[in-house]
Amino acid sequence: MEGSSGKSILQFAPFQSSVDEGFWHRLSSLKLNKFGIDDSPIPITGFYAPCSHSQVSNHLTLLAESLPSDSSEESEVPEISRGNRNRCSVPGILYNTNTVERFHGLDKQGLLKAEAQKIWEDIHNGRALEDSSVLSRFLLISFADLKKWSFHYWFAFPALVLDPPATLVNLRPASQCFSLEEAESLSAAFNEWRNSSLTADVPFFLVQIDTNSHAAIKHLKDWETCQSADGHKLLFGFYDPCHLPNNPGWPLRNFLALICSRWDIKSVHFLCYRENRGFADLGLSLVGEALITVPQGWRDHPYVPNAVGWELNKGRKIPRGISLAKSMDPTRLAISAADLNLKLMRWRALPSLNLNSLSSLKCLLLGAGTLGCQVARTLMAWGVRRITLVDNGRVAMSNPLRQSLYTLDDCLNGGELKATAAVNSLKRIFPAVEAKGVVMAIPMPGHPVPSQEEQTVLDDCRSLHDLIDSHDVVFLLTDTRESRWLPSLLCANTNKITITAALGFDSFLVMRHGAGPFSSSHDSKAEAANSLSADMSNLGLTDRDGGKRLGCYFCNDVVAPIDSTSNRTLDQQCTVTRPGLAPIASALAVELLVGILHHPHGIFAEGDVLNSSNSESSEQPLGILPHQIRGSLAQFSQMTLVGHSSDSCTACCSTVVSEYRKKGMEFILQAINHPTYLEDLTGLTELMKSASSFELDWDDGTDEDDDDCVEV
Amino acid sequence: MDALSWDGTLTSRDFLVSARAFAEKWKEFNSAFPPWTWVPCPPKQPPCHLPQLLQQGYLSLEKICLPGSSKKGHVTSQEDVDEISLTEGEEEFEPVDNATLVETNNSLQVCYYDFHIVYSDSYRVPVLYFRGYYIDGQPLALDEIEKDLPACSAKVLLESKWTFITQEEHPYLNRPWYKLHPCGTSEWMKLLFLSDDSRAKIGVAVEQYLVSWLSVVGQVVGIRIPFEMLNNPKSCN
Ligand SMILES: [Zn+2]
Repeated sequence: MEGSSGKSILQFAPFQSSVDEGFWHRLSSLKLNKFGIDDSPIPITGFYAPCSHSQVSNHLTLLAESLPSDSSEESEVPEISRGNRNRCSVPGILYNTNTVERFHGLDKQGLLKAEAQKIWEDIHNGRALEDSSVLSRFLLISFADLKKWSFHYWFAFPALVLDPPATLVNLRPASQCFSLEEAESLSAAFNEWRNSSLTADVPFFLVQIDTNSHAAIKHLKDWETCQSADGHKLLFGFYDPCHLPNNPGWPLRNFLALICSRWDIKSVHFLCYRENRGFADLGLSLVGEALITVPQGWRDHPYVPNAVGWELNKGRKIPRGISLAKSMDPTRLAISAADLNLKLMRWRALPSLNLNSLSSLKCLLLGAGTLGCQVARTLMAWGVRRITLVDNGRVAMSNPLRQSLYTLDDCLNGGELKATAAVNSLKRIFPAVEAKGVVMAIPMPGHPVPSQEEQTVLDDCRSLHDLIDSHDVVFLLTDTRESRWLPSLLCANTNKITITAALGFDSFLVMRHGAGPFSSSHDSKAEAANSLSADMSNLGLTDRDGGKRLGCYFCNDVVAPIDSTSNRTLDQQCTVTRPGLAPIASALAVELLVGILHHPHGIFAEGDVLNSSNSESSEQPLGILPHQIRGSLAQFSQMTLVGHSSDSCTACCSTVVSEYRKKGMEFILQAINHPTYLEDLTGLTELMKSASSFELDWDDGTDEDDDDCVEV
Repeated sequence: MDALSWDGTLTSRDFLVSARAFAEKWKEFNSAFPPWTWVPCPPKQPPCHLPQLLQQGYLSLEKICLPGSSKKGHVTSQEDVDEISLTEGEEEFEPVDNATLVETNNSLQVCYYDFHIVYSDSYRVPVLYFRGYYIDGQPLALDEIEKDLPACSAKVLLESKWTFITQEEHPYLNRPWYKLHPCGTSEWMKLLFLSDDSRAKIGVAVEQYLVSWLSVVGQVVGIRIPFEMLNNPKSCN
């Protein structure tokens, strides 16, 4: 615009859109629960208000209330209350397509034209005089990608094009156009109009100033009566969302179309109403004069003028996009809810809780039965995110009642593999878990294999070795004693944190294995790799000086693990346990792990017993860190015990581990194929001849009968 | 209420009283600022045979432009929006219109904040929920919000280990909003009232609760309470 020469074209600042997150939330919900694939256009309501900031234009805003209610019961109270001065309702229409191709394929010019025609008709049938908001009717096209929670959208604010365009005679701040008295009266009239619920949201109006400098705001339908009075100034006013000092906002366009086609006025005095802190601001508001030439054909009724109005995206004719995955993706929400829960625990009770070490911890669960399922769940509750389950069984009909990750569906058609079903279930519980299932049998000593199967068994041994190597923690949760042997040995060899849980009918054992016999030696890979306890090697040395490693599951034994399933009745296999036992033992196993992770000495921590004189450990934030926990449901009792490593242990003594290091797979094959190999090697055979029995310092001697039967 | 035996909490009825008093005072002393409005919410369960519950709702202050919360050239984080499908090339379907103003200067990017004060039944204290968004509606992420928070905010968050920002579902809107976690509120509210001799003597004025509460919580998010509001504890009685 070059000054007020009277020749410049009147240029309008385009309307801008703003879409509240709530709008997309409700649209998604409607799409899922109500509309389905029905993509017929939806009437919506936009909201705008006069500009109230000298630097920022007001936007046409869509809120959740812009859409119909998504609740199934019809809301009795209409949600959109009229008369809100900051929310002038504007009717709009939404075309939400089912595919992105349909979105791009929409006939944009045609849709815009259809809306422009509605405006044109409302001007001619007089509806625009009754409800002036229809002049700002708008159009929205969108594609809601509900899988990615992203939304593509494009607004159009149809404006009827005057051809030739209106020219500007002058445009000034309203404060320069009125006498003091007029300005005062005008401000008062505006404030009254804006504060009455009857008029506050009426965006187009007439401003009349009589010869006594008295200002009045009138409805458009009162135009005839305003005309009759002589000597009055008459201005066409509207709520202007635009803040610019040299341009009126978009709503004036269709207002001018109405003024020229209904009232045939050639010279239009208009007022762009803007405010500040809730009051009329005549410095910000503009008063101008525009000259209109009635375009050809405007008087012929079937004719509809051209229209423009698609909103630009950063100056380009492209749609906009928004991603709300952060607030809509259930996986992300589940993660943040789970994190919050753990953080609260840290903030409130355990400031030293190391959540990062838990979330990065890699846990290997050998066995996905009652214990495996429950351990996995409790691990997730503690924020452990990486879980590998090893099992070669299938889900049987009797399993789901006790094995908390399975349902009847997993039992159908011969039963899903437990490793697979458990992983699927963990992901359903918490989608962010990194769970893996490995279908594999664990080679067992004393279970001789025919030579043609030797290769398979050796492959399994290597896989198990690699699995243990690539995890930080190993849980021994299988249902036989001898299937725990090889993992115990491999863990002792690589010095992994190892936790065993085993069940009798009504008693259980939960224990952590001590460090391996060579845990302090410098060639131990595990030691270097184990980041959980930084000064582990030092501790290892002192521990070795002290000479007392904690024992493993087999250190308690006087018999090497043999085939415990083949020669026993079902009862003796201990598949019958009181149902409450596994959850108790599993929970203790995980709590024991968390204790180790938070103990300054980690895997080397000594075993605490209740009332232990070792006060250092009892001052740990998580309390004492026992070596073994034995419990009995029959007596509702539980006790903590310490057992040190045995020199003749078939799994963790230095003889066995060094033999394994020397001979590798050959050693394992021998153990598997020769039932007495391990006993001979460790001197257990000798020991058994002399000793009648060897027990831990388990005070209560009455309930030892299922001690050799602590399995599922 | 006797200040010494008071545990720092508020009943939902008191919250309502305090909320009304607070909104009135805010209007009185802070007229240049937009008002806090009470947003009534229908109770989630129909009040069948239970005694009619108190009116539920929350205080709301919306579209607030915090000082310094304008961002230059904000890059819309369209991380998951398929850029290609958005920018398949401009479409020339509209006639050129010389009555449309083409804005060349990229105008100021403004961020708005909404604040809601919601009563927490489990903690029996008010909770501040808030969110930020660009003018086009794109929500601000927490790290973007943190850049807008006043310098003293980080200090407050650090010093009071009970005050921290979490993202949780808004109890009435059922969408995730940020909130200042309320688990320490009753404790520091009690301290706040006890540390003030005059208040300790006259007892705990329910009407003053929200004013005192927001004088602390507001520091985190940059809402300032006019001094006169704090200094005028009895004007509503
Ligand atoms: Zn051992």
